[in-house]
Amino acid sequence: MNPIIVIAAASTATMARVLALIGLTILVGWFMAYGATRNGFIESVYVSAIAALESVPVITFFPVVLMVFVYRIGGPVGTELATDVLVLTAIAWNIWIAQYQALKTIPNDLLEVSRNYEFGFWKTMRRLIVPYSMPKIAANLFPSFADALFYITVSEVFTVGTKTYSTFGIGSLIAELIASGNWSLVWYAMASLAIWVVALTFFFRWFARYSVSKYGLDTAMQVRRRGRTSLRRTYQAWGSLVGPMKRLSRHFSTLARVPAIPIAERRAGWRILKRTTKYVVIGIGAFLMFVISLEIGEFIISVPGTYWLFLLGYTPLILYNLAFDYLRVFIITVISLLIAVFVGYALAVRQRVAAFVLPVVQVLSAFPAPVYFPLVFIATYRYVVHIPFGTELYVLFLGFISTFYYVFYSFWIGVQAVPNEFWEIMRNYELGYFKKLRSIVLPGTLPYLVAGLSSTIDSAWGGLMIGEYWPNIYDGKGLIVRYGLMKMLDLYTYSGNIGLAGWSSLIFAIIVVIFSISFTKALMDLARKKYVIEEGVYGV
Amino acid sequence: MQIGAVLKVDGLSYIYPSGKAVFEDISFEVGENEFVSIVGPSGIGKSTLLRVISYLIPPTRGKVILLGEEIKAPSSRIALIHQSIATFPWMTALENVRIVVDGKVKDRSKANEIARKMLEVVGLRGAEDLYPKEMSGGMRQRVAIARALAANPIVLLMDEPFAHLDELTAEGLRQEIYYILFNPETTLKAVILVSHNLDEVLELSDRVLVMNGSPARVVNDLSINIPRPRQPRDPRFNEYLDKIYSSLTPIR
Repeated sequence: MNPIIVIAAASTATMARVLALIGLTILVGWFMAYGATRNGFIESVYVSAIAALESVPVITFFPVVLMVFVYRIGGPVGTELATDVLVLTAIAWNIWIAQYQALKTIPNDLLEVSRNYEFGFWKTMRRLIVPYSMPKIAANLFPSFADALFYITVSEVFTVGTKTYSTFGIGSLIAELIASGNWSLVWYAMASLAIWVVALTFFFRWFARYSVSKYGLDTAMQVRRRGRTSLRRTYQAWGSLVGPMKRLSRHFSTLARVPAIPIAERRAGWRILKRTTKYVVIGIGAFLMFVISLEIGEFIISVPGTYWLFLLGYTPLILYNLAFDYLRVFIITVISLLIAVFVGYALAVRQRVAAFVLPVVQVLSAFPAPVYFPLVFIATYRYVVHIPFGTELYVLFLGFISTFYYVFYSFWIGVQAVPNEFWEIMRNYELGYFKKLRSIVLPGTLPYLVAGLSSTIDSAWGGLMIGEYWPNIYDGKGLIVRYGLMKMLDLYTYSGNIGLAGWSSLIFAIIVVIFSISFTKALMDLARKKYVIEEGVYGV
Repeated sequence: MQIGAVLKVDGLSYIYPSGKAVFEDISFEVGENEFVSIVGPSGIGKSTLLRVISYLIPPTRGKVILLGEEIKAPSSRIALIHQSIATFPWMTALENVRIVVDGKVKDRSKANEIARKMLEVVGLRGAEDLYPKEMSGGMRQRVAIARALAANPIVLLMDEPFAHLDELTAEGLRQEIYYILFNPETTLKAVILVSHNLDEVLELSDRVLVMNGSPARVVNDLSINIPRPRQPRDPRFNEYLDKIYSSLTPIR
């Protein structure tokens, strides 16, 4: 077949996979969020589960996905499902939490209208819930799309032991073309991917503007209750919107100041919806919990006691290697933060330059780093290999390009959300550059910065996973670090030692969640308590 | 320039980037210790005019002269008080005021002293360590005024400063504001107030400028000759009120 047609088909297949998964996520999310808002218990489980899952880096799901889909189901269907589920873990949490937040913030007046005129379930869904959640969904589409592309290009082809599993798509095709040294087709494949990325990025930007202008609420109507929010996602999500940003930020901050509605009244708002639906939702949830518990129980019993001891013996080595990775993540985070603050601020105060630069950066951020990194490597490795810590430089660079955009966008959006009054005060009283930055802009954007940092830290693991063990990028040359848990995970997976990979992932996930709770969440709580700049404007 | 004039607004015009002219050829002078108010229909460009006077928005045409010197950049010598009451939520009252002093005074204790003095001038002695969240709207607006006064302004621009306060708080602050602003402890020489509240304007002002038309112009410049403190029940109060109303209507 004509290779150009194959390339076009592969990139279309990848994009269709991403879009279909996003569509499925949104569809399922409406019903789950609805279920969560109807029952306090389900709500607690739902929100807590998402909060925990979103703080776990996507890559930790990899061994689990392999075990369940590749080994149990197997074949092309198993590989396809493994890819899809991995991508789903990258896109689902932020969209689901956004839909939940949307439902929790539907103005009471509108809910009363729907009750007053006896809207049924489907009419409430179609006329109220779906339209009202559109701006929040739109705001989350771009980060989900970028995340999905990053993970899809690496999950379309993976090796376990001696066997390589792949599913048709642009990620697997580019890997195949690079391996065969067919460079002209590699360029075509990347161009084909780029066309899709540019087209979809601009589509998401247009959709964000459209949904805010059509469905955005720009009044101080009383809302039922904000619900339990995911600050990280809320702030990060604004990153996809350039035009309507201020309006959405205002919308959010208006909601933040609205007093809570009593729970009894809040629940009454949903009485129009049939009681049977509640039991259906509870039933589905119970069934899923049962299946998962069964799987976990079966797995624990099937592993011999001696193997558990073997795994425990490896734990110190896992922690030792994890310390090296935390150091890398720290370096990547600090560099990302410094660039984000100084470049982000410079762009935020130069709107004309930003109007040109930001869409470009946005497209670049959606273009998956693992696809173009080999080209950077091929062009530079002759020189970098002689530099001390050359491999480390590549790994840090890969981690940086995989993750920099999150903190950059979050900070930029935070600066955009600084109320005009404060900009006027800074100019009026002739505050200097560092005074503005230190006393007003950095504290005022802290919630956004923490959100961005949290995403940056999580995504940096993905870059490290790819960069720490990439033995043959080109001509027998590649990247292998000496220490690093991500390298260990790669090695265990490639050698087919899924048990050890799973154990390492579990230890990693536990440490990451502890870090998230003790550091990120604490910082976010402080930011939310003291540094919400919109609260400084009394009369809005 | 008239004797004692502190600020001269000379032929100011402002046109939005879209091409719509907001106001045209606005000229007036403000004398020493003079409290001037600007009134006009909603959307006529009063707040924009304040921002153009402070150079937060550069004028399309015309100039602003402060004590004989043309203003070509935003300056704390012309300080703006916002309608929406803007204070930094992570700073105490003292820090909110000190922020405009820090760069100008090297010694931290001196900066604290100035900030404390200005808080005292606005009646917030003892509230130095409170955060905005712990203060009422009226107290927050006093902090904003103290901040402006700490910057040693010559002219204070007030954009509907009482609009977001409840009537009792607003009335309390109104009664004090004239004496707060023209306190010997401050460097202030003139005040320009924008307001929709005509009672408030008559209670406070030495002169009232009425804007009307599209693009807006100053259609009336009225001196208010009623001794202070002024009472709305005073028959002269109503006479002035009628004069202002007649300039405001019809909305052109």
